[in-house]
Amino acid sequence: MEFQQEKLENGLQIIGEVNPAAKSAAVGFFVKTGSRDETSAVSGVSHFLEHMLFKGTDRRTALEVNAAFDDTGAQFNAFTSEENTVYYASVLPEYLDEVTLLWSDLMRPALRDDDFDMEKNVIKEEIAMYKDMPSFDVMDRCRTLFFGEHPCGNSVLGTAQSIDDLSSAQMREYLARRYAPNNIVVAFAGHFDWERMVSLTQDRCRQWDPHDLARETSHFGGRVDHARLGQAGLAREHLCLMSEGVSYQDPQHYAAMLLSSIVGDSAGSRYFWELVDKAVAEAASMSLDGMDGTGSMVSYVRCSPERATEVLDVLESIFETLARAGVTEEELRMAKNKTLSALVIKNELPMGRLIDLGFNWTYLQEYRQVEKDVTEIKSVTVEDVNKMIERLKPGVFTRYQIGPD
Amino acid sequence: MSQRLDKQTLSNGLVVLGEPMEGVASVAFGLMIPAGAARFPEGCCGVSGIIADWIFRGAGSRDSRQLGDALDGLGLHRHGSTGTLYLTLGAAMESGSLAEALDLYTDVICTPTLADDQFELARQLAVEDVKALDDDPRHKVMIKLREQFYPDPLGRSTLGNISELESLTPEQTRSLIHERFDLSQGIFSVAGRYDFDLLCRQVERSFGASGKGRTEETGLGSAGERYTHIPTEGAQVHIGLVTPTITPEDPEFYDMRVAVSILSGGMSSRLFTEVREKRGLCYAVNAGYHGLKQAAGIQCYAGTTPDKAQETVDVIVEQFRLLREGVTEDELARAKVGLKSVLIMQSESSSSRASSIGNDYYMYGRVRPLDEIKEKIDAVTTDSVAAFLAHSPFDDFTAVTVGPTPIKLSDRAPIF
Repeated sequence: MEFQQEKLENGLQIIGEVNPAAKSAAVGFFVKTGSRDETSAVSGVSHFLEHMLFKGTDRRTALEVNAAFDDTGAQFNAFTSEENTVYYASVLPEYLDEVTLLWSDLMRPALRDDDFDMEKNVIKEEIAMYKDMPSFDVMDRCRTLFFGEHPCGNSVLGTAQSIDDLSSAQMREYLARRYAPNNIVVAFAGHFDWERMVSLTQDRCRQWDPHDLARETSHFGGRVDHARLGQAGLAREHLCLMSEGVSYQDPQHYAAMLLSSIVGDSAGSRYFWELVDKAVAEAASMSLDGMDGTGSMVSYVRCSPERATEVLDVLESIFETLARAGVTEEELRMAKNKTLSALVIKNELPMGRLIDLGFNWTYLQEYRQVEKDVTEIKSVTVEDVNKMIERLKPGVFTRYQIGPD
Repeated sequence: MSQRLDKQTLSNGLVVLGEPMEGVASVAFGLMIPAGAARFPEGCCGVSGIIADWIFRGAGSRDSRQLGDALDGLGLHRHGSTGTLYLTLGAAMESGSLAEALDLYTDVICTPTLADDQFELARQLAVEDVKALDDDPRHKVMIKLREQFYPDPLGRSTLGNISELESLTPEQTRSLIHERFDLSQGIFSVAGRYDFDLLCRQVERSFGASGKGRTEETGLGSAGERYTHIPTEGAQVHIGLVTPTITPEDPEFYDMRVAVSILSGGMSSRLFTEVREKRGLCYAVNAGYHGLKQAAGIQCYAGTTPDKAQETVDVIVEQFRLLREGVTEDELARAKVGLKSVLIMQSESSSSRASSIGNDYYMYGRVRPLDEIKEKIDAVTTDSVAAFLAHSPFDDFTAVTVGPTPIKLSDRAPIF
């Protein structure tokens, strides 16, 4: 593996990890923007803009863009979170030029009015789709309750109303600021020619104008609150818990991640043995959401509505034991092994590698070999995890429930 | 593309397949046990899911907790699936853990404890998973669609149904396990980094004595209703449509695959273009092939708000039917590059290769080399697609909807 990096005069950063043994290559445009960078007047614009990029440029229509991607056989898509909008494609090496040029062009979309109006329908269907998925809806609502006025609580999708109200002029203004070259990392992984990719990206992107950008990234420990929404027709109780977490940049990031695995991995965790194995709940998991400057621990539990109180009692007892007695050597060893094998398996694919590569650069301005992550995970001690329990107090959380009326 | 296949048939008939991969540190294995949903007698729909849980609740000398800890201690990524014909148990891991992992799986498969109290818990979770489908209409509509479309028992829900799950007893389930865990009819596959000779010796020791060597054919019953509506108060109507097509062994298989790819392969495909891009009817719309050895269909899902549901169905059905009017050279070229790219990219993942070679062996009695698949894709022409669609058009639909309003499914009719 060979790592390379380049920064253009306008601030665009290009990075790559070359693996000549790979059969495919992956490219990603990591734009450091998301719902936390929106004001309420443009709620949902980041995600809507992600859709609009596929609608083409002054020289390409939407249908031409779709055909151009499919001409390369690419596996491609994009996603928008609270703080990142990522466009990616994995292809056979001979098509990497083409998809890289295509993504580069699309970063400066035409935002035509007729496309804009048509796509509003699609976004509103997406919002409706998630309304029918209480397991998703409960997480979204809990996030808003936990973060309160903090921008990390902003909804990625927005609402049907905020989408209706959005104008293409507002989107243009957002685009000019947030898609500035100094806010974008272009990453490559797998089998590719570094020099060629740099010159190609440079050629398309060097005329973009930089922009001054800021994001409030101070740590936020979250609110403590609870709420429940009764919804007709539901069969199960869906619970989301959120408590203080650590940021992506935190030096103790892995200790927090291992803590979440010990407490709430889908198998073999405390949630698993106390809730799922005993059939008190049919699903229970916890994960760390490490964000830019802040973070949260997020749990999801699904159970029969009649047993929701019992579930809450079990959760309380899990957190009480955790606070009192900490974790064991054996638990930590298992959590490490699971985390390590997941890391190795994921990074064997160029697409999996691309995501870690791009985020490590976006958040840390750092190239991390998989071996470095492995060493750091291995070096976490029981004491580190126990300190993390004291620091984060996972038993103090905001809770949201959605269930039958 | 250099590709090696390791193969050995054990004394009892269990087939062991392996595909070594260069440059990976991982290995993945899967054991296909002939204990899928369709292979059980009437009246125990869902038992395979209970079994897949129960056998992990203690095995060999370990109780449930000790077994779980031992599996986790190896850092295994367990994947199990209860399919129509097979229950597949497998895992991916760093290659050094393979021998120990197999020892644990040998206990799970050959000497599970199967305690009564653990059965109750497994059953309870299975029942709750069925109930949870009500809160997951996208998933529910496709399960109901398969039930209606495939001749019984091929369409059985692998999750089961509540009354049959509730009527099962531990004794009955134990005897079903004993009967169905016949590894002489199984397929063991591995991909990634491994030593085949060592592996075969271990698999022989573990599973070489299992088996009754019996083969049986499941008789097929009838399919269900042509259209089913399940009323709910949700925000969207979730639409499932399926039309019958050829099975994987058919000589025109790749003509069909190309046709489906033109319909719903990438973003330039016809469904995405007509339903989402031009009309903004849906966020999610897609169609894909679902093939069993005995029957196959092209399944389509779309979710949309109630006032757009009828138009969505009409546009989708029209697009299925319009395919037989011909496909263009551009569409053909895109479908081919898409199908070939997926094939090669999936070959980089040990888990996906382990499952592909096992499925191939079941479906074709051999593993198709990737080069052969590529050649067959390349051989497809616009004429061969047209010829296929001329005698096997996509125009006979079974539909299920879950949502506030039903739709009308028009009769099979010419489109002009």
